[in-house]
Amino acid sequence: MAELNVLGFRTGDSLLHRLDVRFKLMFFVLISLSSLRADVFSLLLLTIMLTAALMHVGLSVKSTLKDLRYIFLLLLFVFVARSLSVPGSPVIEIKMITVTREGLHQGAVVCWRLLIVILTGVAFVLTTRPSEIKAAVQWMLKPFPGIPEKKIAFMMSLTARFVPIIFDQAKETLAAQKARGIENRKNPIYRLKMLGIPLMRRTFERADSISLAMTARCYSENRTDPRLSCRTRDWIALAGVVCLCLIIVF
Amino acid sequence: MNIIEIEKLNHRFADGAMGLKDINLSIPEGSFVVIAGMNGSGKTTLLRHLNGLLLPTSGTVYVSGMSVSENPARSRQMVGMVFQDADSQIVCETVFEDVAFGPENLRLDRGEVEQRVMQALRTVGLVDHRDKSPYLLSGGEKRRLAIAGVLAMEPKVLVFDEPFSSLDYPGIQQVLKQVVSLHESGRTIIVAAHDLEDIIAYADRLVIMKDGRVVRDGLPAQLLGELEAFGVREPSASQLGVKHPSWLN
Repeated sequence: MAELNVLGFRTGDSLLHRLDVRFKLMFFVLISLSSLRADVFSLLLLTIMLTAALMHVGLSVKSTLKDLRYIFLLLLFVFVARSLSVPGSPVIEIKMITVTREGLHQGAVVCWRLLIVILTGVAFVLTTRPSEIKAAVQWMLKPFPGIPEKKIAFMMSLTARFVPIIFDQAKETLAAQKARGIENRKNPIYRLKMLGIPLMRRTFERADSISLAMTARCYSENRTDPRLSCRTRDWIALAGVVCLCLIIVF
Repeated sequence: MNIIEIEKLNHRFADGAMGLKDINLSIPEGSFVVIAGMNGSGKTTLLRHLNGLLLPTSGTVYVSGMSVSENPARSRQMVGMVFQDADSQIVCETVFEDVAFGPENLRLDRGEVEQRVMQALRTVGLVDHRDKSPYLLSGGEKRRLAIAGVLAMEPKVLVFDEPFSSLDYPGIQQVLKQVVSLHESGRTIIVAAHDLEDIIAYADRLVIMKDGRVVRDGLPAQLLGELEAFGVREPSASQLGVKHPSWLN
């Protein structure tokens, strides 16, 4: 169970922990956007800075790599697709398949950029309480008329809370079906149906129970507002991040 | 003074089945009531009428003299309910946030919310877990968190629906200790259970339900011998004719 929570919030007193969530969210957006224009040197600079930031908040490189293993698979897929689809001077040619030098370069750069976005997100999530993220979303949606910002923020937090439980339920259902020999049935549609139907039923039943429990605790949209405050250090950090992004982009 | 008064309560489900039939019950403030019955006897349905999660088809439920149907929001504040499945009751991503959920719904100011949350966490002994994900807590800790979430709303009555189901022995002890100490602090406790082994030593009243009706209501010592006629196992100590042992020793 714990494996799904390793990249969640970790208590700490680092500078990143102490920054205002709205600024951190802005940093995340700025760094992610500027990394899309970054060259290899800028990407290297960003990687070093992000690795240092992650180590500063107490995350080991090994555990990060382990937790991101499925994302690396996705990056590998992107890399392979790019290598094969970008025209240029061929490096490997096997029948109809051609891997180009330009494709390899572009694939590596795109994957690196995506990795920067992911690591920035990890740094954000690691150092920000879920309630603060919820508060920031609520704060950002507030100026838009017609958007129920409190409801949306709470729905986001509820989703984050229950996704691991749904995964657990899926694992449990799958284990129970394996115990009754589901692996002998080779039809994947049959297996998907046998997993999906009970899982959905349990999920909806759970949603009903949650709704009841929330009603029992007087849930309404009109709730105590979250407390957000920014300080001088947030503005200094913003200036630093803006400078960094300008260096990367130009 | 009776904190809960139930008069001629009937509840019919949407499919036409009767969930509760002609329930009359008065519960004095500060009492410790155990509602026993087999599955489907109507215990949960009855409990859900105490805070307006279900409304009567006919009859009235009063909490502190106020009709629950007329003001369900206030009754929810006065009657805190701890559900059977703690996982469904815990709705936030950290222990602290989850306990704050109720007070925030009451629109208390931030300082008051924090003070209530810390008080509730201290009461159930979860202060050290305040930043943990509830998902990582043990079964007993989750149940204690659910209790803290209710306590932070400062209810007068605490209702527990099968509080010990699927808990191991240490988990039962942890939750039982909380229930007993909440009763000692003056709160009214109502516990619905189908197994009375762990709880009956602390109750001062036993209500037995069957098929949506209250079939017995009185002192536990007088009714334990009749339990099995209504599909509830008689506690071992009662069968052996000895004093009920405490699960807290």
